[in-house]
Amino acid sequence: MTDTATRMRRIRIVLSSMWRQPAGKYSLTVLGLWIAVSLVSLCWTPYDLMETDGYHVWQAPSASHWLGTDGTGADVFSWLMAGSRTDLVIVVLTVLFSAALGLLLVAAMVSRSGALAHGSVVAIDALISIPTVLIALMLAVPMGASVAVIVLACGFGYGLNLARVARPQALLAANSMYVESARANGASAPRVFLTHVVPNIMPVVVVQCSLSAGTAVLAESGLTYLGVGVPSGVPSWGHSLATSVKFININPQTVLWPGLLVTLMVVALNLFGDALRDAMDPLANPQLRRA
Amino acid sequence: MRYLLRRLALFVVALLVISLVVFLALRVLPGDIATIMAGLNASPERVAALRDQLGLDRPLSEQYGSWIAGLLHGDLGTTMLTGQSVAAVVATRARITFPLIILGLLVALAIGIPLGCAAVLARKARTRAFFQVLAVIGGAVPALWGGLLLILLFAKGSGILPILPATGFPRTGWHTPGQALLALVLPALTVGIIVGASIMRYTRSALQSVASTGTIEMAMACGMTRTDAVLRVGLRLAMPQLVSVVGLTFAEMVTGVMVIENLFALPGIGSGLVDDLGHRDLVAVQGELFLLAAFFLVIGLLVDLTHRALDPRLGANDD
Repeated sequence: MTDTATRMRRIRIVLSSMWRQPAGKYSLTVLGLWIAVSLVSLCWTPYDLMETDGYHVWQAPSASHWLGTDGTGADVFSWLMAGSRTDLVIVVLTVLFSAALGLLLVAAMVSRSGALAHGSVVAIDALISIPTVLIALMLAVPMGASVAVIVLACGFGYGLNLARVARPQALLAANSMYVESARANGASAPRVFLTHVVPNIMPVVVVQCSLSAGTAVLAESGLTYLGVGVPSGVPSWGHSLATSVKFININPQTVLWPGLLVTLMVVALNLFGDALRDAMDPLANPQLRRA
Repeated sequence: MRYLLRRLALFVVALLVISLVVFLALRVLPGDIATIMAGLNASPERVAALRDQLGLDRPLSEQYGSWIAGLLHGDLGTTMLTGQSVAAVVATRARITFPLIILGLLVALAIGIPLGCAAVLARKARTRAFFQVLAVIGGAVPALWGGLLLILLFAKGSGILPILPATGFPRTGWHTPGQALLALVLPALTVGIIVGASIMRYTRSALQSVASTGTIEMAMACGMTRTDAVLRVGLRLAMPQLVSVVGLTFAEMVTGVMVIENLFALPGIGSGLVDDLGHRDLVAVQGELFLLAAFFLVIGLLVDLTHRALDPRLGANDD
């Protein structure tokens, strides 16, 4: 039985063992900062986002505008700060969607109905070769530029991926003696899936989710540049990156910052998955077995 | 044989499903397609004419049927702006996209496979960590930014080391092959470096999964050096996996290079599709989306079959 106190203790153990690894320390720090900046940006940014200043357009970085100003005289640093909350929302929604879809597909693949199990494997094999970008464009036709396009496309692509990668482990668990004995004791199919199959595929789920999060940030920057991602006027890192393209002949060094920011964040997201998987694994982390 | 039949049946079903998805994606648009396509300032007569031309008054099933019938005859429709056939437009764009992704893939393989092998061969923890960092960062760079950095470094006009043009594809196209090829170098390098990082990761994990079966130790026990064992035994055993990855990567690059095409002003397949979407040329968009999806499904099929042919162990599990 896991009560709240045990659960809290486990979370503390996982976090502290992540913190002991350089990759974990980096990703925890960066993701923590990200969340903090997103929250701060809700009530404060150095300049108002809509504040335009026709006398100070395309300014180089200075003490008053840390990363310079864009073509309307708006402060680039403020836009990047505000963009972090949009990307955070995209990442959270993408992870939730891809995990939900992936787990549903895994449940179908290990179900005892042969048609369902077979059909889902076949469907995944057929659809997995269609890239995320193409799905995004298909969705963008009826939906236009929106956050939902990015979330659905990345979530769909990585949901399929997750199901495919997790299948062997899930099958192993589903065909095990303990599942058989659980069934003999009258456990329902959802209960068997949640208490016996899901914990076995958790490492794969964690890694795939962190990859889908990283892809979502990258897809956001690409799709927004192409005009089918985040709608114009909404702050996002992709928006800042796309704006910086116009800077390139005016203040070349300004181009560096938005892209560097995206790169650092995607690195943090990808490392976070690996670090969390290692810290959560009771085989690799002896402290967890004692808790 | 049974596998082949099942896989082919699956391919046909997937193709049908995709055609339905593409078809419906355009039909569930809020508002009238003809109004959207005609633009804001179109007269009602123009809208009516367009609706008639597209057959929008007919029932959905009939529209779908005639579209599919057209597809089977190789007719993808005509673009609204120029009146050319969609197939011809895509063929013109493919002449830029395919050279670009082939060049990019060559760069990626030249970077990724040696680095992946080196990452496995590295003995010191520090060297291994270095390769790890390289792979993680390479996979996290947004394509747009990678392109911008290379422009800052090498582009004529604005670069630190101005040796390569970044001014778009020459108007004369492939009639001036030297110029055309030179215009592709910088974009291909951008694509190659980013894709190279993922090829490197795949190479490393494929080699590691081969090593985990003990074959590399076996080869070393038979007297090979570690380097020899990894490069001659490991790489050969990892080949089926790598061929699959390269095949799928190749397909994915067709749309993956969209941002790069746009940045370097290359009128390729991906950037063209985005343009058509921007012009609300929905007939062209529908045709292109279907064509691309079909292309991905074909590549997926070919990759699966090749993988089986290269790795007979997979066939042994068939029921």
